Amino acid sequence: MNTVSNMSGSRLWAAYLGEMRFEFIKSLRTPAFAVPTLLFPILFYVMFGIFFGSMRGNSGQAIYLFATYGVFGAMGPGLFGFGVSLAIEREQGLLTLKQALPQPPGAYLLARAAMAMLFVGIIALMLTLMAVFVGHVPLTFSQGIRLFAIDVLGALPFCAIGMWVGSLVSGAASPAIVNLIFLPMAFLSGLWVPMQFMPKVLIDFAPIWPSYHLAQMALGTVGAPSSGTVLGHVAVLAGVTLVFFLLAMRRMHGSGFRLLGARPKRTLAIAAAAGIAVIALSMAGVFGGKATDTASATSSTAAPESPAGVAAPQVVVLSNFDAGSAATAYGIGWGAAGDDMRGGNSSASQQLVEGGAGGSKGALEVAGAVGDAIQYPFAGSMFFPQGPPMQGLMDYSGKKTLTFQARGDGRRYMLMVISGLAVEGIPLMVDFETGPEWKEVRLDIASLGAADWKRVRAIGVGTMGPAGPFRFQIDDVRVE
Amino acid sequence: MSQTTLASLKGVRKRFGKIQALDGFDLAVKRGELLAVLGPNGAGKSTAISILLGLQAADEGSAELFGHHPQEIDGRRRIGVMMQEVMLPGVMRPRELLEQVASYYPTPYDVDAVIKRMSLESLALRPYGKLSGGQRRQVQFALAICGRPELLFLDEPTAGLDVQAREALWKVVRELKHEGCSIVLTTHYLEEAEALADRVAVMARGRLIAGGSVNEIRAHVTRKQVSCVTRLTADSVRAWPEVVQVEMERDRLKITTRNAEELLVRLFREDPQLSDIEVKRAGLAEAFTELTNDSAREAA
Repeated sequence: MNTVSNMSGSRLWAAYLGEMRFEFIKSLRTPAFAVPTLLFPILFYVMFGIFFGSMRGNSGQAIYLFATYGVFGAMGPGLFGFGVSLAIEREQGLLTLKQALPQPPGAYLLARAAMAMLFVGIIALMLTLMAVFVGHVPLTFSQGIRLFAIDVLGALPFCAIGMWVGSLVSGAASPAIVNLIFLPMAFLSGLWVPMQFMPKVLIDFAPIWPSYHLAQMALGTVGAPSSGTVLGHVAVLAGVTLVFFLLAMRRMHGSGFRLLGARPKRTLAIAAAAGIAVIALSMAGVFGGKATDTASATSSTAAPESPAGVAAPQVVVLSNFDAGSAATAYGIGWGAAGDDMRGGNSSASQQLVEGGAGGSKGALEVAGAVGDAIQYPFAGSMFFPQGPPMQGLMDYSGKKTLTFQARGDGRRYMLMVISGLAVEGIPLMVDFETGPEWKEVRLDIASLGAADWKRVRAIGVGTMGPAGPFRFQIDDVRVE
Repeated sequence: MSQTTLASLKGVRKRFGKIQALDGFDLAVKRGELLAVLGPNGAGKSTAISILLGLQAADEGSAELFGHHPQEIDGRRRIGVMMQEVMLPGVMRPRELLEQVASYYPTPYDVDAVIKRMSLESLALRPYGKLSGGQRRQVQFALAICGRPELLFLDEPTAGLDVQAREALWKVVRELKHEGCSIVLTTHYLEEAEALADRVAVMARGRLIAGGSVNEIRAHVTRKQVSCVTRLTADSVRAWPEVVQVEMERDRLKITTRNAEELLVRLFREDPQLSDIEVKRAGLAEAFTELTNDSAREAA
């Protein structure tokens, strides 16, 4: 009796894919799941990010909240999909039946994770459409793609946390418990209200939440102020995913559920290899910067009727500091700036020094001390390209790059571009490192959509902390 | 050919805390047979089936499904399962559930054919959550057979079904058996086992206490039932040593006895006008009660 019990490869694939399809249909038909996970991020974003933001004339809020509501959207499907459904299906015997049936190993988990990622993908897409077409958030194609990838992959740590919850609690208690994790974590990670408006103690504790790390990555992508490095955030999120996944698997295994089939280690090894490959590929493609080159097509998408800046002159060299002055080819030249206007106690002074980059005659040295009186201190030097400081607008959208030479005391400094219709928007900030040697800092104007390049008010170079003395030099500022 | 063993438990022991659920249990399911596993609650039926399905691991002894460990998927690709107390997702439709389960198998039946066979056409596109308890059982049965299994596990398949639905399900079970499918049936309905089973395994306290065909099990039992029309009353015969139990059913006196011959002699002596005598060997229900009682007495 040679009945063939081997599944053909194509049937096995179909079984995995079918499982995902059914999981998606099931989730979509469950209002208790679909409504809060799909609708809430979008509804909240439109209300708080777009309408309230525009009423207050704050386009920066629309950008900030666009990034953080994407992260909010990335949390729900994983937390609820695993946390609630797993708890219920564990109790109702469905999980047991699936194990008696020849459901392919890991298909249950895979389908659920894929469903969560698909939901997150839909949320991210809808948020992007809202942000660009309703909120007029300046977003490049490349930023949109990177944000999408961050949100979709960012669903995984929340799948793992949800799975752990679902392995522990009863089906009846699970929605309440998931909400108790979901909502406070979202708030404490600065997803609803920008972190800067929160008490210091919450800001200090924020890094314990995985959603904080995902939010920092998302904020960094749209050019809003963010802290930490991409690698650091990815490491934390991968660690959270692994730890909660293993905790959940241990718990499920203890209750007799073999979600990964008869050979969990083998299945796990295959899954881990695939996971690492996906992360490596996305790190290389998404964060490696290569993807940014392709994106110049859709740069700033500000409302067409708003006043544009004066077109930037053809001059390439903005200032080389060789003639003994901090003047620029146009606009109001470089001037030292602290944060006393905003109530801070940071100070800065500047002087021209000999020995510029590439053997040139002079350079601009800026030195001072960063204070600790306000949340976001700043000290450095600012340049106003057009008219009265902060009031005039200059259009740099026709330019490709902004470059300058820099060296300094080893701190991280940042180039800041204040732009847009509203003065109080969050500026574009780009980090760079300094050392004893001159180094070129290069900005690809087209790819940095978080700045409204049609309406640049000021360009600054300086530091936002940590508190303490600083010293750096710049030279040879060019816009091409 | 008929002797091929598809699934087996050998010397299986399983303990849950203080309860010894299985205490050296053996079971072999042969190709083409319908085996009914009977026993009172807590006898170890569910534990035995769980181990055969790979849902639990035995503490001792071995379990095999088509020559594989039950937790390996290869053996389970050849079985169908219907469990008690499973809540399938209420928002899914029976047709979708069938498509999903069928996708797990190498050569399943056509989903539409299964729907037709189980007469589920009118339910196929209604949300599972909106179906009645009996309709849900029918869908669960359809899910169990849709993978074209060689071995089918049915746990209380007709619980909650009306007579008509039960007959219809029995018909399909007989057809499947005729087509060569082996079936393991656990049931509380003894008449279900009597109606369907080739072989019966009676369990009590984690052990096999009797096994064989329905007739063999009955033969284990010495009791017979004598019924007749007589002027004697139930009370007057109750004290006789031959009588185990007696009851009056309309005009007939029904007496359960261990010694039908002596009882008949005495009945004729007491009432020469006695008429319409019927002597019946005990049914599985009586056999089952006796077997499990004996086993309890031994244990005590």
